[in-house]
Amino acid sequence: MPSIEGSDVRKLIVACDAGMGSSAMLAGTLRGQLKKQNVTVEHKPVNEIPADADVIVVHEGLADRARGIAPDKPIVGFKVFLGDPAVTKVVNAIKDGGIING
Amino acid sequence: MGEQSSLTELLDVSAIDLGARAASKEDAVRACGDKLVEIGAVGPAYVEAMLERERTISTYVGEGVAIPHGTLAGKDAVVRDALCYLRFSDPVDWGGEEVTVCVGIAAAGDGHVDVLAALAQVLMDPEQAAALRAAQRPEDVLAALAPREEEEVST
Repeated sequence: MPSIEGSDVRKLIVACDAGMGSSAMLAGTLRGQLKKQNVTVEHKPVNEIPADADVIVVHEGLADRARGIAPDKPIVGFKVFLGDPAVTKVVNAIKDGGIING
Repeated sequence: MGEQSSLTELLDVSAIDLGARAASKEDAVRACGDKLVEIGAVGPAYVEAMLERERTISTYVGEGVAIPHGTLAGKDAVVRDALCYLRFSDPVDWGGEEVTVCVGIAAAGDGHVDVLAALAQVLMDPEQAAALRAAQRPEDVLAALAPREEEEVST
């Protein structure tokens, strides 16, 4: 299972099917939460995950597709769009350090 | 990230319906799609894409709000970026959750991301979320979704 140290994350991708609704909303929220960190937050359709992504946050239902597209990257699945504990863990690891497994 | 559209550019008063009715989740998604067609934001094919998207993964985001939108394939049917706002007189069962408000999304680009982030901000504060759900006039909806002042300073 790929992992990364939170403080090494420079690019976080929120992926979903169209990259227009829920992922855009979550990306906007994370961008606010990570404003003070040296991290780029982008939202992308799952089949357009960029090669330089460090960690990918994706709805559980799309996690397998994301793993097929980016097998070497940590993929963090979430269930709810706002306030999911898995996403909070990623934010905290980026802010305070800690390993992100995915 | 590219240029951001303002809330009033994306959400026209004519796209706000505060007395919508839907018997099911599918009905509600269709109502959002029909509204987006009516205001000229999408072609009719987009409505099917919205239903398809909803079948794959629910667009319920919390606090009684869902954000129906199309699939990647459905983007071709988007004429211009726009939102619609439907408030249902009776809550709609959304796979076990109760939905009172749908914010339907049509977007080919990324100009609507700030507005969605503002919506997320509102929904993470139960009091603001309740005020949004209770909004009785279109101007109250726009006020509830308007960017907060401290956010304007920081951007």
